[in-house]
Amino acid sequence: MGLKILLVDDEQEFVETLSERLQMRDMDSHAVFDGKTALAQVQSHPPQVLIIDLKMPGMDGIQVLQQVKQTHPFIQVIVLTGHGSEQDRKTCMDLGAYAYFQKPVDIDQLHTAIRQSLEKTLTDPRDSMGFDRPVDKGFYQP
Amino acid sequence: MSPNNDPCPETDRLADMADVKFFGALAAAMTHDMKNVLAIINENAGLLGDLAVKSQKKATPIDPLKASTISEKIRKNVTRADHMMKRFNRFSHSMDHAEEFVDMEETVMLVASLSERIIRRHGATLTVIPPPVPCRIHARRFVVLHLIFRALDILCCNHADPASDTQKQMTVRFGSNLTRPEICFTRDPGFMIKRDALFDSPKDRALLAHVKMKVKMMDAGAGFCLCTARPEHG
Repeated sequence: MGLKILLVDDEQEFVETLSERLQMRDMDSHAVFDGKTALAQVQSHPPQVLIIDLKMPGMDGIQVLQQVKQTHPFIQVIVLTGHGSEQDRKTCMDLGAYAYFQKPVDIDQLHTAIRQSLEKTLTDPRDSMGFDRPVDKGFYQP
Repeated sequence: MSPNNDPCPETDRLADMADVKFFGALAAAMTHDMKNVLAIINENAGLLGDLAVKSQKKATPIDPLKASTISEKIRKNVTRADHMMKRFNRFSHSMDHAEEFVDMEETVMLVASLSERIIRRHGATLTVIPPPVPCRIHARRFVVLHLIFRALDILCCNHADPASDTQKQMTVRFGSNLTRPEICFTRDPGFMIKRDALFDSPKDRALLAHVKMKVKMMDAGAGFCLCTARPEHG
């Protein structure tokens, strides 16, 4: 499996099916159904990309986004929501989301955004925890 | 939604503003729900397509059980969307008539289903205990829907943190007097409602005035009841 993706949405049937489709595209995706579990998962097994819904019972997506960006600033966050307010989109992008999609989403568009967000991560000199990446000096130095 | 001959234009204006806000809140919740159902249908249809591509590439047939499960999920969500649209249609048509006899249990059930997402998002559950006798009032149906929604909002959200982990239990029950309809709203044991949070704003008062109802605190602040200000017949 390739990229580590964590999906967070209280619509269990939706998020499990989306996760299965991402797995068919060689992504190591995993789904959880609330914000609190997502944050615990981010602490124990930080993903490379986090895909979150906004309106969920308990902790909502904006709170999750805020906390993840504080503790793991280089995890790329993609918002995928049924709630279509322009203000929400602006808030999410200001908080550091990589992309904002409305449901239903085209899987190819989402797949492309995930790949592009990873490219952004890889070109960043720091890792998902915000630490400097070790520079690969190669195996041969004449 | 106020009658043109109402002698209180300020009350009318406030009630109209609140009505528009109420319609917007329920329409937003409803369209959000619809988007979620469409998203489930979209992913399941997409999964069938993915399986077809995979099967073609590997020259192996699609697992018939898997295909049938996906198809069933799509069918189930089309039914779910249909029920949502029917409820929303009933809600939209609640503005069609002027005053009429409105069944309160039916109205509470409609508000409960339309605002299910809002209630769930605030960590609450709602139980409606059927009335011992028919409970009907003569009023504008849309305004009654609005009043019930507002009552649930006060009960659910005006006293607690929406992100709280505690599950809130709300109960609606009806009075037993046929000619003096009464609807009571209570929360989980130990919950105390504050009088100053009860329909105290000018918009709330305008809403109550339009359905000719008054609000009554229950003992020890356990909840509140909405009662008609005059006997109802019909």
